[in-house]
Amino acid sequence: MARYGMALDYKNCINCKACEVACKEENGVLLGADKHRIWVGSNNPEGVWPNLDIASASFLPSQCQHCEQAPCEEVCPTHATYYDENGVVRVDSDKCILCSYCMNACPYDARYVDDRTVTVDKCTFCSDTRLARGETTTACQNTCPTKVRTFGDLDDPESEISILLKTRDHFSLKAHLGTKPKLFYLT
Amino acid sequence: MTEEAAKQEGFVEKAKAFLATIPYNKISVKDILNYEKTPVNNFIALLTVLFLAFFVIGVGNYLIHGHEAYGVTREHPWGLLIAVYIFFVVSSTGLCIVGSLGDVFGFKDYEMISKRAIFGSIVTILSGFAVIAFEIGHPIRMMIWNVLTPGLRSAIWWMGTLYGLYLTFMIIEFVFLLKHDMKRAKTFGLIGLLVGLAAHSNLGGVFGFLNARPISNGVFYPTYFILTAFITGIYIAFIMMGFRYRLKFPENARVMLVNLAKIQGLLIAILMFFETWKMMTAIYGGVPGRSDVAIHILTTWPFWAEVAFGMLIPFIVILKSKGQDIVGMFWASLIGMVGIFFMRYDLVHDTQLKPLQMMKIREYQLPPEWVHYTPSVTEIMISLGGLGICILLYYVGTKLFNLDADAH
Amino acid sequence: MEVEVSRRKFLQGTVAMTVVGGVAGTGLLSAGHGEGEAPGSPRLPKSVTTKTGTGKAEEIPFLCGMCVNKCAGFARVEDGIITKLNPNPYFPKSRNMLCPRGNAGIQTTYDPDRLKYPMIRIGKRGEGKFKRVSWEEAYDAILNGTDKFKGLAQILDEEKDNRSTIAYCNGEGLSKEGFEDLVGKKLGSPNYVDEVSICLETAGGGFFATLGVYPEIDFEHADYMIILGANRAEAIITPDTMDMFKQTKGRGLKMVCIDPRFTNTAAKADKWLPVNPGTDLAYVLAMTWVVFNENLQNEAYMKKHGVGYEEYKQHILSHKYTPEWAEPICGIKAKDIYEMAREFMNAEHPIIYPGRRSIFSPNDYQLRRAMAIFQALSGNLDQKGGYIYGNPIMLPPEYVNAPIYDQAKPRFDTEGIAFPTLKSGSWIVFRNMVLEGKNPYPVRVMFMRKHNPMMSVPNTAKTRQFLEKMDLNVMIDILPSDTAMYADVILPEASYLERTSPVKAYGFLEPAIVQRKAAIEPLYETKVPEQIYKELAEKLAKPLFEISKKYDKDLQEQIKLRGEEKVFKEDGYDLADAWEMPVHEKNREIVEKVYGKKAWEILDERGVYYPHMEEYHKQLDPNDYQYYPKSKRFYSTQGDKLRVICKYDNLAKRGIDAMPTWHDEWKFSVPEGKFRLITGRHAQYTQSGTTNNAMLRDLIPTNYLWINQRVADKMGIAFGDMVEVKSEVGTVRLKAYPTEKIAPNQTFMLHGFGSESKGLELAYGNGANDAVIIKDDIEPVFGAAVMHSTNVEIRRV
Repeated sequence: MARYGMALDYKNCINCKACEVACKEENGVLLGADKHRIWVGSNNPEGVWPNLDIASASFLPSQCQHCEQAPCEEVCPTHATYYDENGVVRVDSDKCILCSYCMNACPYDARYVDDRTVTVDKCTFCSDTRLARGETTTACQNTCPTKVRTFGDLDDPESEISILLKTRDHFSLKAHLGTKPKLFYLT
Repeated sequence: MTEEAAKQEGFVEKAKAFLATIPYNKISVKDILNYEKTPVNNFIALLTVLFLAFFVIGVGNYLIHGHEAYGVTREHPWGLLIAVYIFFVVSSTGLCIVGSLGDVFGFKDYEMISKRAIFGSIVTILSGFAVIAFEIGHPIRMMIWNVLTPGLRSAIWWMGTLYGLYLTFMIIEFVFLLKHDMKRAKTFGLIGLLVGLAAHSNLGGVFGFLNARPISNGVFYPTYFILTAFITGIYIAFIMMGFRYRLKFPENARVMLVNLAKIQGLLIAILMFFETWKMMTAIYGGVPGRSDVAIHILTTWPFWAEVAFGMLIPFIVILKSKGQDIVGMFWASLIGMVGIFFMRYDLVHDTQLKPLQMMKIREYQLPPEWVHYTPSVTEIMISLGGLGICILLYYVGTKLFNLDADAH
Repeated sequence: MEVEVSRRKFLQGTVAMTVVGGVAGTGLLSAGHGEGEAPGSPRLPKSVTTKTGTGKAEEIPFLCGMCVNKCAGFARVEDGIITKLNPNPYFPKSRNMLCPRGNAGIQTTYDPDRLKYPMIRIGKRGEGKFKRVSWEEAYDAILNGTDKFKGLAQILDEEKDNRSTIAYCNGEGLSKEGFEDLVGKKLGSPNYVDEVSICLETAGGGFFATLGVYPEIDFEHADYMIILGANRAEAIITPDTMDMFKQTKGRGLKMVCIDPRFTNTAAKADKWLPVNPGTDLAYVLAMTWVVFNENLQNEAYMKKHGVGYEEYKQHILSHKYTPEWAEPICGIKAKDIYEMAREFMNAEHPIIYPGRRSIFSPNDYQLRRAMAIFQALSGNLDQKGGYIYGNPIMLPPEYVNAPIYDQAKPRFDTEGIAFPTLKSGSWIVFRNMVLEGKNPYPVRVMFMRKHNPMMSVPNTAKTRQFLEKMDLNVMIDILPSDTAMYADVILPEASYLERTSPVKAYGFLEPAIVQRKAAIEPLYETKVPEQIYKELAEKLAKPLFEISKKYDKDLQEQIKLRGEEKVFKEDGYDLADAWEMPVHEKNREIVEKVYGKKAWEILDERGVYYPHMEEYHKQLDPNDYQYYPKSKRFYSTQGDKLRVICKYDNLAKRGIDAMPTWHDEWKFSVPEGKFRLITGRHAQYTQSGTTNNAMLRDLIPTNYLWINQRVADKMGIAFGDMVEVKSEVGTVRLKAYPTEKIAPNQTFMLHGFGSESKGLELAYGNGANDAVIIKDDIEPVFGAAVMHSTNVEIRRV
């Protein structure tokens, strides 16, 4: 059983949103700006034309961090949110009662409501689509024009992601909250 | 007849026999409609019917459109209905505390309000459940999976389970109060109170455990909830007694209410002290997620409504009259309940004020600043409907049961 | 945050276009709608996105048609429905990826507003009133007309078989050549306008004239790059976009972005400098001056390969194109110009990025020439890390037996142009001459395919007049575009996912041939383009032959000599003979002939082939592949024959500067209180063809007007306020987007919005169409459209 995570070479990101589209297409996610599992965040550059600060206009893809100590898993009253055998945080839509506690507990704004099942939904690392078919890449990784993402097994020392994390500096979002996210931003 | 069946039948017989011993008035619909037709009473009756109609319409709208009928969003998933639920359960816990003063802790002056308060606590929590049933997406599922696969680290699980237990104990305590079985009432009252306090602080813990929300995270909400519950309970006690005696209080009621007023004064003073320090420590040092949110809260009008209506006005009334002006306190309690409502709304809304993700996700949008929320018409209707249910149940209760203290 | 696009809107899906005899649009989620309308038509999905399953599926190689790049992918088809489009890792050019539009191709193919069956106009042009007809009736209407419009036969008869009365326009694509064969070669029309005169004709022409190539770039080994107004982060070109952004931000390639607007490319660059629109030439001339003045150029290289090099050096130095001279013109500080010129020449493999787009100002041709020469000064051509000429694959051209129409008169759209191109002409000159009555013979028929001039050619009012002036308009397209509303006969085409297309070669450095195959059968009653060409040709062949017989003296002679049947068959009058073989067969024939059977098998299965592919193609890591090993890539192929034409005498003969020269008429100035309108792209849309796509609308719901934040504050304009933008040729309205990413005297809006076609539910009335307000200025070399010369007024409404 694996321990899945993702490394993001986010400086490659050009904010084209191919990953957002591929995710929705692969996983049948509904349209709607508030119904996205993954997104690319951007900032307006600081400063006043023509003295604009390039570094402040960065692009940061983000999504569910599949934390090892996920607040969403802790707060779920019915265990609808659980860790599957690969360390992927999943939502069992048969058990979710939509108390929305997890939506408030998640520090990363990763969760939203799927109108069809009226339950909480989020990135699943394509577990029930691509991974279930035996593929080794997620939809977002596969489609990215500048190859920002590398998904893989953190427990496999030979995997591409393990090598990347061993050889390059990286950080995680809101690490001080102790959620132990499994998304690593390579610097 | 087999032994099993005999046992069952025997149990049913025993239960029926037990139920028959509970004193209540046999009333008909005519009796319910038979009240003193003063303008005030008519107005309240009309309002209640209107609110009940709202409830039906609101629930109907929800059943057709689902959560789209509400103003909740991805960034702000808890809205008016959660705030109203909290409002009701806090009232319930508060009434339980007030009711326990007499029959659990033995303070003689407060015995006269025990039955009424405990009944009030049942009625309010049922109203709260009526409101939240239409907020939780799948209430039936909740009842199944909360039992089969409970999330034992979830404050919502504990809150829900404990409130269910608390309601059970409150009902049992009330039954014993009706039967004037003071010993058993005390036992169940005590257990119910403890379970209720645990449930209520877990409700505060729902917010307190949110590491992602620095403004709410921490010790404050679980503890201050108990304090405000007590305050709310006293406000409602004033309101209930005010209506019971039409503001012409007999001596024993007057003594009790003056005592309650003085206690209230102390509690409000403590509350204001707590709140002030909470805001100051939140703002101090400019910690992002806490300081900026706290400063923003100070600029929003619901916060000042909470302070003015919930704390300042009643406090001034008590202070000026040294607790003696209990008629003034009745009116102040009504105002106070408005303030309490704002307290609950602020709690829910302020927790979600700061977006968790501060980057733009589309080019053509303003950068995220504060999360906005406006309750939808459906939510308002269901909330008012909850109030209507509460008033109706209480009123029927006053007819069905004798809520005054029994003569010794 | 507001949910910008209501989900309900997608569920409704009714089309406001009035179509008699047929339901024009059926909602994607209409109850019980599992079949396409025609019997045997493939199934339609039940929702806008379909979750992929884990069961049986086909993976069919396709080439994306959402833009020009033709990225290779595999279409996942489950139970007859396309559920996902995945990247194809075999095509070197597309680098194993699909951009947001590539992924959203599903929503275009299954767009409920698709043209589903042939239609003929029964109302006024532009009204949107059509009648559903059969294919036979549609072809007949083209030939014989109706009571609303004349047919081709009558028009040609009246014009005495002057085939030049027929004009045609076409958009880029793999079936483009087929349409050119049909209307150009077979029907004999020389009056052809395509997209190049409103796009890259001038830029490409400038590079081609100077270097003999419109080069690719080897980013892997480049270490310094100046990118002028090419927004590669948002105007995606493969493989450039994929390669360049992996190296910036201190990872090997220092990128300086020069652009009037702070685009996403600027955000990814190491340095951004704003430039005044249309003055890039002054900047490049100044950099050239610095290089010559400080003798930084690769003198030996230029002496060897340059033509007119010494004259050019003299020309630059004597004109004193100093950075101090350039600074007030282009707005870039002199010290920055010195620094960039020096850094460029000091770098080992510097690149001044060629760019590929419509033009900013009338000096664009000279700008690209100056850029090409500047690159050559570094000697970084035809080698690793430089401009790549490469070794493109040339598939044998297809022979089409084209009749010679004696009565056809020559093209006339030459006014004000130095090089009227033999093939694609100038849209603006052609259109305007016809409108002004300057055409020497009547132009009465417009055959259109995959082209939307109402939204793509500047000055929409004139395009409207032009289309209304025609006697017969025929449109072949997949969606009811603005231009389709002006057609008399509409023929619905199958989208790119529903057709097999002619094989094509791409790439200089790592060349390959690619083929797309139909993932599903054509939906509704649509047909693949080649079938439409064939059937239309069949229908027109004999009747039009009769007309030629009447007027064409040479033809009459030939018939007397050889007999009618022989002439008909041998001289190409059997119009349909170019499409006898289905496309798939033709492809096999070509590929097997050039590369053999094995190559065809690989191409057919994987959609891509290049020599030694089995040996060369390797997976390097989960994301990247090796297509050609470095030793086999075509870095250097020109050797000594490479020429850098610094002085182009042929231009002088036609009144154009032989060497890039600055003229003060190109100075940038905006009248007080007005704004210069500039155009550009976002990665989520391709011009006007994608604005009805539900998925892409989800990403950007409408276009906004960029206006400087401080200027907006002064004018009292906040985000989302409605503003009116007025130029001397038109007025539009859209919402405002105050930002510091644009200069106080400039403004910008995304191209492709503001559709007036009621047939497009999502695009209709959404945003503003910039073609309405852009003036139809042209540049003097090819007559290409100048896009950045329009000044506008803005006011809040």
